[in-house]
Amino acid sequence: MTEKASVVVIGGGIVGTAIAYYLTIKGQRDVVVLEKNYLSSGSTGRCAGGIRQQWSEPSNVRLAMRSVRHFESFKKELGADIEYVQGGYLLLAFDEEEETLFRNNVEMQKKEGLEVSILSVDEVKKRFPYIVVDDVKSASFCPTDGHANPHLANFAYARAAKKNGAWIYTHTRALGIDVENGQITGVETDRGYIKTGVVVNAAGGFSRQVGLLAGVDIPTESYRHQIMVTEPLEHILDPMIISFSRNFYMRQTVSGNIMMGQGDEDEKPSFNHDPSWRFLTQMSKKMPGLFPFLEKVRVLRHWAGLYNMSPDAQPIIDKAEDVSDYYCAVGFSGHGFMLAPAVGEGLADWIIDGSPKEVDLSNLGLDRFTGEVKREKNVV
Amino acid sequence: MHSPDLLVIGAGPAGLSAAVEAASAGLDTVVVDEGVTAGGQLVKQTHKFFGNEGFFASVRGFEIARSLLEELVDFENVEIFQESSVIGVYEDGIPVLHLPSDTTRLFRPKRVVVATGASEKFLQFENNDLPGVYGAGAVQTLMNQFGIMPGKNVLMIGSGNIGLIVSYQLVQAGVNVKAIVEIADRIGGYEVHADKVKRLGIPVLLKHTVTRALGVESVEGAEICEVDEKFSPIPSTARELVVDTVCIAVGLNPSVELIAQAGGQIRYVAELGGYVPVRDEDMRATAEGFFVAGDVSGIEEATTAMIEGRIAGLSVVRDLKGSTDENKVSRLKKELVGFRNGPISARVREGLQKLGFDVSSGESRTGNLNNPQKYRGKLRPIIECFEAIPCNPCETSCPTGAIVVGGNINDVPVIDYDKCNGCGICMTKCPGLAIFMLQELPDEDSALIGIPYEFIPLPSKGDQVHLLGRQGEMLAEGTVQRVFRSPHKTNSVYVKTPLELADKVRSIRPVLQEDNAFVCRCEELTVSDIEAAIDEGYTDFEELRRKLRISMGPCGGRTCRLNALRILSRKTGKSIEELSFGVLRPPSIPSTLGSIARQKGAEDD
Repeated sequence: MTEKASVVVIGGGIVGTAIAYYLTIKGQRDVVVLEKNYLSSGSTGRCAGGIRQQWSEPSNVRLAMRSVRHFESFKKELGADIEYVQGGYLLLAFDEEEETLFRNNVEMQKKEGLEVSILSVDEVKKRFPYIVVDDVKSASFCPTDGHANPHLANFAYARAAKKNGAWIYTHTRALGIDVENGQITGVETDRGYIKTGVVVNAAGGFSRQVGLLAGVDIPTESYRHQIMVTEPLEHILDPMIISFSRNFYMRQTVSGNIMMGQGDEDEKPSFNHDPSWRFLTQMSKKMPGLFPFLEKVRVLRHWAGLYNMSPDAQPIIDKAEDVSDYYCAVGFSGHGFMLAPAVGEGLADWIIDGSPKEVDLSNLGLDRFTGEVKREKNVV
Repeated sequence: MHSPDLLVIGAGPAGLSAAVEAASAGLDTVVVDEGVTAGGQLVKQTHKFFGNEGFFASVRGFEIARSLLEELVDFENVEIFQESSVIGVYEDGIPVLHLPSDTTRLFRPKRVVVATGASEKFLQFENNDLPGVYGAGAVQTLMNQFGIMPGKNVLMIGSGNIGLIVSYQLVQAGVNVKAIVEIADRIGGYEVHADKVKRLGIPVLLKHTVTRALGVESVEGAEICEVDEKFSPIPSTARELVVDTVCIAVGLNPSVELIAQAGGQIRYVAELGGYVPVRDEDMRATAEGFFVAGDVSGIEEATTAMIEGRIAGLSVVRDLKGSTDENKVSRLKKELVGFRNGPISARVREGLQKLGFDVSSGESRTGNLNNPQKYRGKLRPIIECFEAIPCNPCETSCPTGAIVVGGNINDVPVIDYDKCNGCGICMTKCPGLAIFMLQELPDEDSALIGIPYEFIPLPSKGDQVHLLGRQGEMLAEGTVQRVFRSPHKTNSVYVKTPLELADKVRSIRPVLQEDNAFVCRCEELTVSDIEAAIDEGYTDFEELRRKLRISMGPCGGRTCRLNALRILSRKTGKSIEELSFGVLRPPSIPSTLGSIARQKGAEDD
């Protein structure tokens, strides 16, 4: 293990490895990634892999659009097939409130340059005949949204970063961050000490704990979210389909499995990532009503991961105030996978050149929670 | 009865026995079982059992199942659900899928006895995914339980008790068993079982293995091969048999998915069949409220399963009622020790010792290890020359005079480790190849073993090899650390072994290639797919799983997990014990959304 590093990234998920990748391609040497378990063992490896640009907050739309451009060139740039499919995202509206929200969103999203439109019930029925549209009022659809295999993307970033000279240490846990006079001096791990002046917190579900290692208080909390996957079926679903009011999302993977999940408002903050029968029961009762073909499809697996929630359900990408060169890319609130490429790019620029340059991270600071909090609404 | 005192998972010999004890002490007991009828593997057994009379000796298996069941049905506080499979063990209950009605039912028991038994080990050879390639359990189910002949001409792989018994039963059913092939140089099962099939004229081909199934749509034949001393097929000996069925009987894996999901600690103990739950003498697992019994706690046979089941049942009674028939418990524990006392249980005893049990044995064979404690850490020869033969090259070749045979050349050598400098010359000189080198390594977990090697090609440093024991039995996989060529052709190969195998590893052989054989049939992944991914750096089972989707199919990894771990162990040089075995995610049985939605007697949600 190396004894010193220019940057130590804590967390070997998609965010940590994307940051490491962009640091190395921008010429940064001696970059270290610490992962306490194996690559993709945390939220990345447990997420559904959706890549969406339809958000209610303009800064999220911009960040997501920038990420999509990176996903579009991912294969060429990194030489890895990550099963990226641009089949669109179909957001179903079930009541007037949702219709109004979607209409306003689409107007704003179009201003940001996104190709997005409102579909009538008839259009939904025609284009997606397997959906029971009885209760559907309308939908919002963006054809350049899509999904990818999060494990493969995570592995691809890690491998590319490694090839460019980064050290990726799996099964290595950060135990402490030494700070002297507001300056980071090193990171203590269970496999040795690494001298460094720069630390990036990309610890996903454990962001708060990794913040406290350096005395940085990050207002995030982790919540269990669950996902289930069925046996593989012939290809039927192009888009990822979601509903905020009916509380679900669903997509079909390249290998044919249908993957779906929901939020649970009774869930308390915790690190519990055991799946529950309650989840499987609720999903099994809810989903076949809208998608009758699911009734006879078998569930193969289900699991849970952690949503690292910030107070406004938007990521926190910032530099700490009291500790120099302590960066964090946390609190993604369930959307870290899709935002990782743009965040990786911006944070790498920030570390190397002192600003995130073309990536607009201005609304994602640690200090934004003091006044009134404006919450992202498009969250399952 | 949704919150019974006890939920027993599996109605085999262990589960039924546990239920009988619990029920007779008045506990509300629910038994769920995947089978059409209760009895587990017993219902398929048409042969008479060994043991003592207290445990159904000389009674046929299916009759044992019947009597256990008769004992149970008399109790009003017992409910048995057949064709019912546990979906998973969750924080909020244990859902059970009823297969015929495709509905589910949720239980929240106070205690659980996991008696899930075992699943069959899988074997890699070319075309092993052709219809007609069966596990022995499937053949027994078809034939003995449902009266369906699996085929007309069968090749049996494996001469352990199951291979021998099923062969006999196939002949009883009118099926032609062309041959039993056995990779070892001796029959694995009991002599009496072997004599039975021999008397029927079935050839038992020792030192043979199957290398290929032949056929396009289904099995039309099989290619078998003789193997050399190191179990490698000798290509010139390949021949084809016309068969329509290849039956694999190469051992069992404990079915630990549910106890692992419950949070029970799991350990790899090869002697007990693979991963087994950690548990105490009362059959209490490490997950709160969970007990285990039978093959799930280590592969043995029906008698020990029944005793363990009764102990588990009595332990549950003690837990819930504050007391139990302690005399009976201690009598049962004594019975267990008695059963495991013979030479055929040597492996089981070794396995139980690894789980921390003090197991007495009928006999023990210990080598002359020359007081290993005192010289721990020093590179030194281990002389395993116990027979008085006229021979002394060890003495004459030793540069420091540490080895003394003495005046009578027929005497066995004696070594003074204080004088020995660890040069290893004696190992290459001994005509009997009876001298090995040993050094415990500073990491305290492993040892270096020097082995005299007279085969070509000579392995090179870094090569992966199988580590074999004194009977040629495969113990583990290891990495070659050093190789010394010797002018008189007895070369020295030094391998790293886990410390506990240091006094067992006495031979090596190169790792066989089975490139195109399927490891994971659900996702169609071959040995070479897995090796390629490992070569790319995916050296964690969970990383491999995420990269390749191995074990993500309907079987949930039952067939592929252990074999994939073996490949990982071979490639990384880490023992299976050191590797993480990954996550066992529910549902343990693929269940339709409809069945989950249709819950009987659900009280909330």
